[in-house]
Amino acid sequence: MLRRGEEGEAFRERKRVASWSASEAGLISASFTEESGTAVRLRRGTGQLLVARAGDSPESLRSAVRDAAKRTGTSPFLKPHREERMGRAAASPFPDDDSFAALLQGALVKALADPRGIALSLTVSRIAIERLVITPRSVAWCGVPPRLEASGTIRRAEAERAFSFQSTRPAGPALEALSLLLQDALRPVPAAPPPGGETDVVFSPSGAVVFWHETVGHPLEAEADERSSVLSRVHSAAVAPPDVEVVDDPLREDLPGSYRFDDEGTEARRVPLISSGVVGDLLSDRRTAGPQSNGHARTPDFRRRPRPRMANIVVAPGSSREEDLITACGEGLYVREIASGSADPESGRFALFVERADVIRRGRLGGPVGRFVLTGDVLKALSQIDGPPGDTVLPSTGLSLCVKGGDGVPVGGAAPALLVRSLLARRPRR
Amino acid sequence: MRAREDALFDQVFQDAAAAEKGPLAGAELYERRGWQVEVTEGDDGITITDASETGFALRLFRGGRTGFSAAGPDGARHLVSQAAALVPRGRSRRGFRAASPLHGEARERTPLVDPPFPDEERILETIVAFRRDVGVAGKGAVALREVSVQAGERRERIATTGGREASWESAAASIVATVAGRSSAGRFSARVVAVAARLEELPLARLARHAADRVLLPLTGQPAPGGKADLLLDPHVAARLVGRLAPLFFGDSEERLLFARTRGGRDLLTSPVLTIVDSASAPGGPVRAARDGEGTPTQRTIVLERGRVVGRLTDTATALRTEGPATGNAIRAAWHTPPELGSTNFFIDPSGGLSPVDLLSSVRRGVYAAVLLERPEVDLAADQFRLMTAGYAIEQGRAAAKLSEIPIAGRLSELLRMVSGTGDDLKFVMSSRGGAGSPTLLVPRWKLS
Repeated sequence: MLRRGEEGEAFRERKRVASWSASEAGLISASFTEESGTAVRLRRGTGQLLVARAGDSPESLRSAVRDAAKRTGTSPFLKPHREERMGRAAASPFPDDDSFAALLQGALVKALADPRGIALSLTVSRIAIERLVITPRSVAWCGVPPRLEASGTIRRAEAERAFSFQSTRPAGPALEALSLLLQDALRPVPAAPPPGGETDVVFSPSGAVVFWHETVGHPLEAEADERSSVLSRVHSAAVAPPDVEVVDDPLREDLPGSYRFDDEGTEARRVPLISSGVVGDLLSDRRTAGPQSNGHARTPDFRRRPRPRMANIVVAPGSSREEDLITACGEGLYVREIASGSADPESGRFALFVERADVIRRGRLGGPVGRFVLTGDVLKALSQIDGPPGDTVLPSTGLSLCVKGGDGVPVGGAAPALLVRSLLARRPRR
Repeated sequence: MRAREDALFDQVFQDAAAAEKGPLAGAELYERRGWQVEVTEGDDGITITDASETGFALRLFRGGRTGFSAAGPDGARHLVSQAAALVPRGRSRRGFRAASPLHGEARERTPLVDPPFPDEERILETIVAFRRDVGVAGKGAVALREVSVQAGERRERIATTGGREASWESAAASIVATVAGRSSAGRFSARVVAVAARLEELPLARLARHAADRVLLPLTGQPAPGGKADLLLDPHVAARLVGRLAPLFFGDSEERLLFARTRGGRDLLTSPVLTIVDSASAPGGPVRAARDGEGTPTQRTIVLERGRVVGRLTDTATALRTEGPATGNAIRAAWHTPPELGSTNFFIDPSGGLSPVDLLSSVRRGVYAAVLLERPEVDLAADQFRLMTAGYAIEQGRAAAKLSEIPIAGRLSELLRMVSGTGDDLKFVMSSRGGAGSPTLLVPRWKLS
């Protein structure tokens, strides 16, 4: 067992990925990958040791424990007779692969009814990850549910755009949703340039999820220095209108970032990030909060150490209808889809790369505009939220892997539409 | 040497060869073994990660179709059945087949030697040195929040039913740092990265200076005024743009785009001062490998010579389709992903370039874009790009006021054709597709947006 002052766990993972590469002409090739690994993590004071070995057999665990012991001079902390609970995988973990390939082919055909002038480069993957955390007191299955992921590029009429999608729904509905999203993304890119400069913005529910993810989620992921984030520096302060309620909810099983236990074996908890407009708790792991961790330690794979990360960012509905937000906006932009975003928690600056948007003129939706970048300051943007959010909460379809410090973890979210005043829109010069 | 893995390799290869026979069928088996050590030092203490990797990957070929499967030693015995089940789902494409032996090379299979364990002491020394360099470069205004240094050693081998047998070794090192700058104007943090083939080749002092500029310039400068100005692009900025050009030269995939951009080869693609090369042995390049992911020896390939397209990067399949030699550009991003056409160290050749000081002296009024503030946006199909940079104003050949924002955007082809001078200071960055490098570039009279 562990020595006094030490804590740690063993972590075992088996990841199976079946992928298809596809073009506008249909499926090109298929691949199947299975990787398993075992890690032993040991924490003492401010030091941490992670020893990772290939394979998830008892021998891999023994090897990792032995090597960890060699490095720390301590005895192995796990009982060697711990019951083997991770069953062997079948030769094919996706027994319905043949029917899935046919469904996928059908979904692509439906999305690409007229492939003329389109160049599609897409990778569609089914990902299943089994993770087990063994601590001195418990054994817990952890990790996110199996999911379907699609990413790639679409080129049409001399312009290229990125495409991403993920779903944890069963194969049929997930592919149906993929087909619809792809159809939408394949529409011709508009020629109208977006307005530059300060603009009022109505975010669609899907766009709003990315806005909250960047402006509230990342700044509230715990770091060693609590003063390093613009929101953690104003803990318990009112930063948004009183009807804004934002939580991170790993327990929302319908969203892709869901799990019951985090990657350190801590039971996942729903964490209020903004309550009645006031800054709430930080997302924490054992390193930043010790036994008070709220279950947000996440790792991309067994070789990387867990860090506090978001799971599913969920925003409560308000009382505004989306049409009312557009009317209230007057002149501005309606953001339908955000391809990616970034935030610097230290300065509070954020950038959202908008893939699809419509202009709003005199309180009504006008024509679509080309892609642009929205930038702003977190505290200023939160204070410029105008009126209650929309009354309908919808999940984001485009949000998939969130990459921070080079580590990508699947995330999800659901939010209502939102009106934010005076963000800065920047467009490329033509 | 590990007898179990060696026996497994032989067994899987025999099974694959037995399963895939005939003139249009074949198999390719790949194995990788490696060690990686990473030390992370931050405000919350120190983390040491010691990780091994061992994996096998099989590609089966049948009538122009492929099936790929990969697994660790525990799952390797299922590889043949898994890949065989995937072959019929693929689309037939000319060129997909098991690679043949290379001229003059032995066809003997030799056991794979285990890689050496990375030197942990050296990693710790690297962290100490970088911390010191940040202190010097930041003059007390820059804090190092976290630094991770990683070193890895790897051994790889390949065998095909076409008769190719090869094994090779490679190494990689990287440093990733999160730095934070403070001034009376506020705070700013950034993550900076450098990658090299060996720990001792990591450009620590340069990265520290870059990190300080990256967090202090946005805090202490003024936005650049609009209008036309001579533009000096720092190698760090230019290299990120150069890396995004690489897909234009991937086999035959962008043939139509290149044809359109150069009016069927009659026009130059870029200014005649630019020559672009891909080489896995370029000095200072982050990628160093004797062979690619299909076991083909890597080489120096000129893709653009004085502005004119002269070459393509190929793997064995595209080499067959384009009826040229394979240039050694089949890249395995990981042992469990299929090899894909990609670049190694893709860079603008600095031969004949001037010193950056001479380039600076030649500018009467302009801007020096020293750091990138956001990831670059490049749309090759639409011929558009956008860089958000920070740097310095240039007055009479000297760096003057600090500039917190220099937006550079427009037509990519126009920028590339307007380059009038290159430096001799080639520097590399890590791009998503390998190493990308450039010397300082001078673009006269560019309209800032």
